[in-house]
Amino acid sequence: MAKVDMRKLGVVFRREYLERVRSKWFLVGTLLGPLFMGAVTILPTYMSLKQRPGSDLTNVVVLDATGTGLGARVGKALGEKYPAAPVPAVKTVTPERLLVAEDSAVNAVVRKEYVGFIVLDSNTVANRSVTYAGRNASSLSDVEALMGIVRQQALAQRLEREGLDAARVTALTAERLETRKEKIGNNGREKGGGMGNLAFGYIIAFLLYIMIALYGQTMLRGVLEEKTTRVAEVVVSSVSTDTLLAGKVLGVGLVAITQVLAWVALTIGMLFYLMPILFGKMAPQAGATAAAPRGLPADMITSALPTPGTALIILGFFVLGFIFYSSLFAAVGAMVSSQEDVQQASMPVMLMLISSVVFMSPILTNPGSSLSRTMSLIPFSAPILMPLRMSLIPVPWWELAASLGGVAVAGVAAIWVSARIYRVGLLMYGKRPSFAELARWVRYAN
Amino acid sequence: MTDLAIDIRNVVKRYAEHVAVRDLSLAVPRGSVYGLLGPNGAGKTTTIRMILNIIVPDSGSISLFGKSHLDRGITDRIGYLPEERGLYKKMQVRRVLKFLAELKGMSGADAEKRIDYWMERFELKTPDKDWGLSKIDELSRGMQQKVQFIGTLLHDPDLIILDEPFSGLDPINAQALKDTIVDLKERGKTVIFSTHLMDNAERLCDSVCIIARGEKVLDGAVADVKREHGTRVVALSVAGEARTAIAHVLADRTLVSRADDQNRYYEIELAPGADAQTLLSRVIATGAPIQRFELVQPSLHQIFLERVGASGVEEGMSGQG
Repeated sequence: MAKVDMRKLGVVFRREYLERVRSKWFLVGTLLGPLFMGAVTILPTYMSLKQRPGSDLTNVVVLDATGTGLGARVGKALGEKYPAAPVPAVKTVTPERLLVAEDSAVNAVVRKEYVGFIVLDSNTVANRSVTYAGRNASSLSDVEALMGIVRQQALAQRLEREGLDAARVTALTAERLETRKEKIGNNGREKGGGMGNLAFGYIIAFLLYIMIALYGQTMLRGVLEEKTTRVAEVVVSSVSTDTLLAGKVLGVGLVAITQVLAWVALTIGMLFYLMPILFGKMAPQAGATAAAPRGLPADMITSALPTPGTALIILGFFVLGFIFYSSLFAAVGAMVSSQEDVQQASMPVMLMLISSVVFMSPILTNPGSSLSRTMSLIPFSAPILMPLRMSLIPVPWWELAASLGGVAVAGVAAIWVSARIYRVGLLMYGKRPSFAELARWVRYAN
Repeated sequence: MTDLAIDIRNVVKRYAEHVAVRDLSLAVPRGSVYGLLGPNGAGKTTTIRMILNIIVPDSGSISLFGKSHLDRGITDRIGYLPEERGLYKKMQVRRVLKFLAELKGMSGADAEKRIDYWMERFELKTPDKDWGLSKIDELSRGMQQKVQFIGTLLHDPDLIILDEPFSGLDPINAQALKDTIVDLKERGKTVIFSTHLMDNAERLCDSVCIIARGEKVLDGAVADVKREHGTRVVALSVAGEARTAIAHVLADRTLVSRADDQNRYYEIELAPGADAQTLLSRVIATGAPIQRFELVQPSLHQIFLERVGASGVEEGMSGQG
């Protein structure tokens, strides 16, 4: 690599950074980013919290073919648990008439008189099965809420039949265990529940992916622009291609970091100023119901905020990953001559990037597996997957070091190859080079 | 201290499929206007790019002002206008110019002052309108060309290299460029430009080098070049319709080795051993009304054709010259 002129590097860097930060698209993206992310993360939480107690959950028919009065118990229990909600209709039928009753219940649901119906029969009493049919049958939380009550009441009924008195049965079965998750890290118990870490890891990994993909492509377009407008030749007559490439990578990279910092600041601001308004208003409404304000996103986010050390490691992964990908994108920009060729030529780089995202969900479900370990060590997927993995489970320091080191080595290799392709490609016009030609560029560029 | 601005010795540049420049040596005197002439594909652009260290030669040496062209900071003394021109379209004119000047090592404040000077000189900044605050793509093509000149000259370079500077210029900008070249020479700057337009070269250049197929055909001061080729050319012009009769005379290869027929005007090169007097009497004998018969120095165009010929243009290499 030829010598890099620091002064000229600064000139290139400044242009890359300022021209991009000054553009209106940067401003729009910076302002809309948190709104979009806020809408994606807060709205569903807000909606689900707001909706659950007053929803149509209990607007159901309970078909009781048990002959034991279980239906009435279930109806009563549902009414007690959701006082503001419609009281379920309980219909006692004989087992022979059950099918007919189900048909008419289906019709009632179709007519939108009810959301669904619960079928209690001898199987339910025998503790084997219970059927729920309804418009919301695919909503896990709805079905679980209903079935929890049915299970509780079936158990209570059996206990009563065994001779326990009703008051004791209620006392014994009423209390539901609430799960509280805590993560244990290398330093023992850590603040924050598992969900906070999951959300945090997911957001970080996704953000890393978005920023690398977005600004990698920005890099590509920038190089292609210099090439198609032919300004490249004037520029490289004043500054070496290595200096130019380095200045671009740094400039565009800092734009990405600026944007993320602005997003984080705006998002945090929004969370702290908006959340109390949103959730505070509905707290009295929700009252003492199931939606206790434990685990609100604001709490989750404050508790999941990374330690400075973690933040530094994540930044390291971003910087190295960005260098790796953006220099490859720059090489792609230098090897094509028109927008039409970009798609195909950038395919190999995009594939590496996308394959990292494909492995996000296996790592989310099983961060300790050997697949997760491997993917978080491979240089091209490490910048996205290691930060995800390390926010889910504690990762041994040597794996972190190996992963970071691997990305660093890959980054240097990518710069070396890209600088050579860039040097030759920048002033080559016409047909896109074949792999053999590219190899020759890399070998003979000097 | 050498009096050569550019000293190229035995430079060779090969590509996979062909040799772009073979064993080229050039000497450009300081303070001169130098023309690099040749057909498309002759190796002009490759040579220029090697001077600017955009391309590295396979062998040979290049010195600028007596120092290696690889010396740090030496490219800051060069102003370069490439054949294919363009600027950042979405950038403000002043910012583009400042960027180009700073890339050449100028300070921002100096750049600002000189941008004002040049913008006013090229009428891009008038009391009515300052185009400096517009984006490049809001300018007309002619104005963009002016901005590009300014970018080339902003850092007050000692050596100005213009690759095919007249291609695509409107007549007004072409004149402005010629004036600027003369002005630069008067200020002691060295200007080297490549062109295939011999008329411009003949009027502007102190010295020329003609290259073809990557090789030097001839070089030297324009006056010397012309003198060397000059004694055997006759300018002939006739009135009326005498073409067939004259064509017959000109076809005599013992008398005329080449005739450049421009309808009413002929540039005639005498065959070896032939005498201008004989030619004159033969033309008079045809009865054609002669308006002019003059022993002249040949134009560069003529010399170029004689030395390079039609075969000097390699096919399929346009734009890479």
